[in-house]
Amino acid sequence: MKPADIVKATIIISVIGFISAFSLSFMKKITQEPIAKQEQEKKLAALALVLPGYTVQQEKTVTIDDSPFTYWIATKEENRIVKKAWAFLAEKKGYGGPVQSIVGVDESNTILGFTILSQNETPGLGARCVEVASNETFVDHFITKNLTSKEEVSWFQEQFIGLNASKHIAIHKKGDWHKEMKDELIQHNAVTAITGATITTKAVTQSIEEGIQKLHKALTLQEVQ
Amino acid sequence: MDYFKEFFKGVWQKNPILVLGIGMCPTLAVTTSASNAIWMTIATTFVLLGSNILVSAIRTIVPSHVRIPIFITIIASFVIIVELTLKAFQPDVYKALGIFIPLIVVNCIILGRAEEFASKNSVLSSILDALGMGLGFGLTLFILATIREVLGANKLFGYVLIPGMKPAILMILAPGAFFTLGLLLWAMNVIKSRKALFKRTE
Repeated sequence: MKPADIVKATIIISVIGFISAFSLSFMKKITQEPIAKQEQEKKLAALALVLPGYTVQQEKTVTIDDSPFTYWIATKEENRIVKKAWAFLAEKKGYGGPVQSIVGVDESNTILGFTILSQNETPGLGARCVEVASNETFVDHFITKNLTSKEEVSWFQEQFIGLNASKHIAIHKKGDWHKEMKDELIQHNAVTAITGATITTKAVTQSIEEGIQKLHKALTLQEVQ
Repeated sequence: MDYFKEFFKGVWQKNPILVLGIGMCPTLAVTTSASNAIWMTIATTFVLLGSNILVSAIRTIVPSHVRIPIFITIIASFVIIVELTLKAFQPDVYKALGIFIPLIVVNCIILGRAEEFASKNSVLSSILDALGMGLGFGLTLFILATIREVLGANKLFGYVLIPGMKPAILMILAPGAFFTLGLLLWAMNVIKSRKALFKRTE
């Protein structure tokens, strides 16, 4: 290879690298605002979902066991008694990376709401943890236009409501969740696993169990101060 | 130059998945539902089109010994553009496809077409090649995903087909992808060998 060739190749690679970096930074600038807006909306919607009826008062981030832990304090007035509830970020490694969720609990550690914020699980398997249960058929949608059966909340996430977060959350393998299972599962403080994705289910239940312990530590820390 | 042939070869004669045997990773991974398959096709075809156009446009000035890093830079830029756009304007799709959007960068179809076709042909035929290859990729993905979604989830585009029936979950899991792909390859080869047989007897 002649020195002139090396110079030519270097210049061409640099120019192409520069153009692509420039156009990507331009792209980043256009999409930055919508993405930030999406994430903010997602967070607010998630908080409203996991703390139904409560008003969020404060967001706090503390260091527990050498890692940051974010939680929110919310209150609700009922019969002139102020009730408190908390929401916290729970995270645990699933099959394809961390599964991050927000969990809302009241004073008796009962889960008020639960929603998954981000996950990278396998599409069709673990990613079904965010799937919205739809029993709608083509006939319902296009002919009878019966849209009442449509549910907005994912079945996997809905089944956590009412469980006790401070106790062990058991995993039963009963196939897809439906309403008739609810009483039996709550009695055992259990959820039904996503078929073919027990690792994802386990990551979620463990992240809640670990999260509630961190929340209790954070709250005692808060009282000491 | 026969433009129609240039376009159509990606669908049948040189179908990227069934004949060339490239791009298997997204084929097996995202074909769990028909809508996933369609979004994956749109994203991949966009990247393929962009990279084919650019690679073909600069093919005379790129020194051949540094072509691979240049192609990869171009492909990666288009993938990031797709990723950011989906994240900003189609967050649900981005959520559903997850890791497979950034992984388009290592999809052999794109680098394969840049290397084998776009770097040797004009911009116009590269556009046709990209669209044809995208269509071939998309059709295969769509057929695979439809079979798997119908059998494995009893659904199509998220709508239940037969209320109350339990689906064969195996089909939505990884083995189902291999079974369906195997059957498609078999069907493709049967049709091809029949055609060849006819030609010989004539």
